[in-house]
Amino acid sequence: METDAIARTIEQYLREKFKIDSTDREFDADVHLFDYGYVDSFGAVDLTLFVESTFGITISNSDLVLYPLNTVNEIARFVVKRQKGEC
Amino acid sequence: MPRISIPLTGLNKDFVVQLSYSMAFVSEEVLGHEIDLAGNRLVVDLTSDASRTEVEAKIKQMIERYREGEFGFRSKVYFEQHADIIQNDTWPELLARKWVTSVGDGHVILRGPAARLADVIDQRIQSIFAREFKAEKEIYPATIKCETLDRIHHFTSFPEHVDFVAHLKSDVVALQQFSSRCREIGWSSALHEGQMAEHDYAISPSCCYHCYEGMEGWELSAPGRCITMTVPCHRFESRNQQSMSRLRAFTQRDVVWVGHPKYVLDSRHRADALIVEWAKDWGLDCTYETANDMFFTDDYAVKASFQRQQEAKKELRLTIPQESKTISVFSSNFHSLTFGKAFNIKVEGRTAASACVGWGFERWVYAIFSQFGFDSARWPGGLRRDFTL
Repeated sequence: METDAIARTIEQYLREKFKIDSTDREFDADVHLFDYGYVDSFGAVDLTLFVESTFGITISNSDLVLYPLNTVNEIARFVVKRQKGEC
Repeated sequence: MPRISIPLTGLNKDFVVQLSYSMAFVSEEVLGHEIDLAGNRLVVDLTSDASRTEVEAKIKQMIERYREGEFGFRSKVYFEQHADIIQNDTWPELLARKWVTSVGDGHVILRGPAARLADVIDQRIQSIFAREFKAEKEIYPATIKCETLDRIHHFTSFPEHVDFVAHLKSDVVALQQFSSRCREIGWSSALHEGQMAEHDYAISPSCCYHCYEGMEGWELSAPGRCITMTVPCHRFESRNQQSMSRLRAFTQRDVVWVGHPKYVLDSRHRADALIVEWAKDWGLDCTYETANDMFFTDDYAVKASFQRQQEAKKELRLTIPQESKTISVFSSNFHSLTFGKAFNIKVEGRTAASACVGWGFERWVYAIFSQFGFDSARWPGGLRRDFTL
């Protein structure tokens, strides 16, 4: 799966799960999900579980400290690298 | 004295300080505790043997809370500075000089140079921070509705801290009875039994809460607004109360931003730089680092580790040499949309974000005398320029 397709899947999940208005002009694949309040601490747990189960990877605590995983694109790029065994 | 020893197998070492802090609230049967890191065990002194099994279960539940954070436990030091500090008996010296008088558990009066130093700190906040961000001054009551604390989820994060406020029932018989008994035998808490009205207020546990509830339903002009206030705050600290490094009653000034996330985050970032400049100017022995709140609930791991992972809380920590520890004297907190959602505060049609930075005056005063002693001629130049004894 390419990065763009992964990003679209995550974006779709976030829109549905967190009821993000389709008219929200600030929500895109590069917005900081946590700074802009789209996802809170418990939402982050749900998002992590979704990414792990959907893309068949594991995300450890140290991944969360080592890699920037704050935007849809950052998460998508991480998924691709993890699937390829590059991180 | 009955004593129990509990293995700390599986405890994340990063959480030792948090566990130690929380032990003060685990049970009223606990007299004291010691964490033996070498032996990997927790040794606890109890009031009686009768409660042993029950207390042991509570402690094990507490240890479980601190096993692992959901998002790791990020520790980042943004700034560190070492100063030529001295060892002195600050607390007894402040008391002997009558610059500080203890008036109850975790309650102090500051006077003379201690009060003047607190005032210098407040003036500096106002001249640097409040001016930089064009903060509007607001004045708040010392108490807050329990309903408000509930709406902002304070009770589900910090139930152990809340000092509730209660008054006698509006009942002439109850009032006369209470008054008569006080005249006859003097006041005691036993006289409250059955005579108190419902507790619908608490003393403010935090400086900035009124700020958000006061803006309920507001639509702000972009990018948002900055507010500053001073509030006497209360947090019950149980056995953690110590000298002036952890008080039950303290005075805090906050600078708060409410508005668009970018405005709030940029302002907070600028405040980070300003506090580091201040620490350099006064030559403080300190670190400015990531931190987390001591959430006292079973969802601690999610909340605290997410807070650290997002660097949502930072603290300026000053060394207290005689207590071999550091204390937080300034904290910087990003709340994301928590308060904007709770009180329906909008900016440009979207829910407003918020952040605050806060200074605890009593801790600043205590830390400065602890680090540099009582001969201000020997204090660092920047500090001496702003304050002399």
